[in-house]
Amino acid sequence: MFVPSYYEFVNPGKILSGKYALENIASEFKLLGSSRVFVLSDKVLNELGQVKVLCDALVSGGVQVVGTFVDIPADSSIEVVNRIAEIYRQANADSIVALGGGSVIDTAKGVRMLISQGGNDIMKFVGAEVLPFARHVPFAAVPTTSGTGSEATAVAVIKDGARKLKMEFISQFLLPDLAVIDERFTVSMPARITAMTGLDALTHAIESYSCLQKNPVSQSYARSAIMMIIENLDKCISTPSDRKARLAMANGSLLAGSAFSNSMVGIVHAIGHSLGGVCSLPHGLAMAILLPHCMRFNLEKCDEDYAEILSFCISPEEYAAVPRKERGLKCVEVVETFANAIAHDAGLSLKLSDNRIDKASFEEVAARAINDGAMIVNPKAVSKEDVLAILEAAY
Amino acid sequence: MVMNNNISIHKKISNSMKSLVARIVLFVLYRGIKVLAREDSRIMGEFQSWPDGLSVVLETSYNGPSISLQKKGDRLVRVSHSENANIRITFRSIDAAFLVLTGQIGVARAYAEHRFMLSGDICQTMSIVRCIDIAESYLFPRLMTRRILRKVEKKEFSTIRVYRKIFVGV
Repeated sequence: MFVPSYYEFVNPGKILSGKYALENIASEFKLLGSSRVFVLSDKVLNELGQVKVLCDALVSGGVQVVGTFVDIPADSSIEVVNRIAEIYRQANADSIVALGGGSVIDTAKGVRMLISQGGNDIMKFVGAEVLPFARHVPFAAVPTTSGTGSEATAVAVIKDGARKLKMEFISQFLLPDLAVIDERFTVSMPARITAMTGLDALTHAIESYSCLQKNPVSQSYARSAIMMIIENLDKCISTPSDRKARLAMANGSLLAGSAFSNSMVGIVHAIGHSLGGVCSLPHGLAMAILLPHCMRFNLEKCDEDYAEILSFCISPEEYAAVPRKERGLKCVEVVETFANAIAHDAGLSLKLSDNRIDKASFEEVAARAINDGAMIVNPKAVSKEDVLAILEAAY
Repeated sequence: MVMNNNISIHKKISNSMKSLVARIVLFVLYRGIKVLAREDSRIMGEFQSWPDGLSVVLETSYNGPSISLQKKGDRLVRVSHSENANIRITFRSIDAAFLVLTGQIGVARAYAEHRFMLSGDICQTMSIVRCIDIAESYLFPRLMTRRILRKVEKKEFSTIRVYRKIFVGV
């Protein structure tokens, strides 16, 4: 196993995973000295009654829900964060629970950062590892999708609405104290969302396994994530009520999140972020489309890592039958076949052309992609022309 | 209880030597990018994409040598130290800065190893990183750049010409 000359690893917060995990948040918050909780979520989850399920669990456990904000948009912004922080202060809350997908949890990270640091604008904390430790605000993240892994990452991506740019905040102090995995919230996820978010988690695991910042701990997490996702994602689509598979997927997503939070992601995310920004392509779908093409691009630098990943994806007998020199390429083929099968079962197409992406946007996508922070840790240097070639191949 | 806040002579000498080297390399790097922003088409393109007035501070540690640069029109100029720079790159120790400035590791590897902290827009910083990578292709020997850069960019003219312009100005 690869051991870098130097690495750092920040563990995720305490993980509560499985049956009645939600009901244990209150007792954990009491240990953290909190009793007045502010809940963040989105409209859909509120209408589905999921926010009520959460509040019931919190109040039953003996903490007060002193405020809720359920209008977080899919693409949250600095302005939303600043507004919620103000409401939080008015409610005199002392802790935060975020229930939702990546946008809700990242927004909550922003709110917590602002409450903890003080002030009215989080923009002064933009950057990597510059955030100082300040007042501790207990924070639990409850993911409702199995993809972003945001409950276990030290990263928040929040849009600057005025400049139409996604700003990145990277700090160990963004990590939630509690990552709460309760499969009750994922069983109702539709097949398309399950597929997109699941393939997003797989991309996190594969990119983190082979990125410049990889290390023995992140690779261990990524390895477990890949195995869980390969084994369970198709079950979640064919049998949505399979709680065991849902729980495994949620754990795979969390592990992949922690892995990439420490070793970062590369070219797939850099291009995917740009496709999302320019063409509004859903993030998970962009990942699923781009992953095999970008793996082919990186193959010359990642051959050994991909050969190892292959061993997590197929049986030992099948692995032994593949000649050593062909294992890296075989891994790309196996991942591509897997992604295509999942997409087919969920009614998705993994071609850009089938997803209303106009070729005319490629220039702008490529120009933005090479400026994405994820490019710096991609194992192979990437030019604008390289990105254009990948987009053409994925069209 | 024994207090041990005195730095040993060995560490003091090491810090001083590294600070001296850092000061020299920062000067060469600044002059190199300034020259290349006028002469290398790729750095010229990157430089032109920066917003006018963009200020960048590179600090080799919290109290080590630093350099503050600003884009003023079509020129890159050295300015007095600013606490409110748009982008601030601070190495976590003089030892970490020394690794990068002496070509032992590249900027990408340094980022991967958390050798520096970055305050400001990461997207904007990517353009600066590309400029540094291209500048290193000129300023460091190929034996070194092949090891530390993910891709060694082709030189559009000779290294001697860049060094001549850095030190002699013609």
